Amino acid sequence: MALFRSLQNSAFTEWFLGSASIWTYPTVLTLHTVGMAILVGASFVIHLRVLQVAGDIPMRRLLPLYRFIWVGFAINLLSGLILFVTEAADRVVDPVFYVKMASIAAALWLGVIVKRRAIDPEGASDVAMGLSRSMAAASLALWTIAIVAGRLMAYLKSAA
Amino acid sequence: MLEFAAWVESTQTSKTLFGTSWLWPACESLHFIGLCMLIGGAGLLDLRLIGMFRGVPIRHVKAMMPWAIGGFLLNAGTGALFLIMQPHLYLSSGVWWSKVAFIMIAAANALFFETRLAPSALSMDADADTPRMLKVVGACSLVSWFAVLYCGRMLPYLGTGN
Repeated sequence: MALFRSLQNSAFTEWFLGSASIWTYPTVLTLHTVGMAILVGASFVIHLRVLQVAGDIPMRRLLPLYRFIWVGFAINLLSGLILFVTEAADRVVDPVFYVKMASIAAALWLGVIVKRRAIDPEGASDVAMGLSRSMAAASLALWTIAIVAGRLMAYLKSAA
Repeated sequence: MLEFAAWVESTQTSKTLFGTSWLWPACESLHFIGLCMLIGGAGLLDLRLIGMFRGVPIRHVKAMMPWAIGGFLLNAGTGALFLIMQPHLYLSSGVWWSKVAFIMIAAANALFFETRLAPSALSMDADADTPRMLKVVGACSLVSWFAVLYCGRMLPYLGTGN
């Protein structure tokens, strides 16, 4: 806890949050939103296809979208780490933060499983199996929870 | 414009909505979800127009568009609620007007595609490369939607005198 407190009260945090420049907090926050749009946007399209939306698109042709998923995830892991450091002490005691992290981990994991089951296999049926569909739907629900949790965290900052 | 904002804020509707404490964060969450639907769905079509995802006919990608439009409508609705609740924040902000301008550019671009380019684009082969005009329209759409996102997210920080 002392570590998180010292991170949150560090000179870096003071500079990052206190700077009048738009290139510190506002830009990292915006990058976090850009990464979300790429990561969740690409996941959304893949899972909708598994759920038979735009069912004429050959499943395997959507494989390049996983590159977008990982690029978006990398942007958000980095920007998220910076944002975490500056609020570390508040976040480690914030249950909503853990809900967000757990939802993201589970949503990504389901995305990888859906890829292996329904998208990767050569000559895989264009009609996904029931289990893949359930996983796609669950992943979409988990992304939604992650977004809502992330938004709510902004309302749970300590005044200090 | 600010008098108009003050008038809107003086109405009972605006006061009641803004006084409902959960409404603002709920709208924010929906606004973020709608943004992912819009950029995911429209982005796929834009990338196909630019020339990625060969092997998928443009008409098949277009079947995803109702979800992108759904995301846009969700954001137009929640955006209208923000505007009714706190009009002075937006009407006095150059960044907000830039956001509106980029939405107009994206809409005009989509309309141009639908009316002038779609008939030939929809009949193109799955593997066909796209003509330069379609690449320009796809890139214009991507750039303007991300510009909309940028203006929206930076709205509280840009042009505030800092």
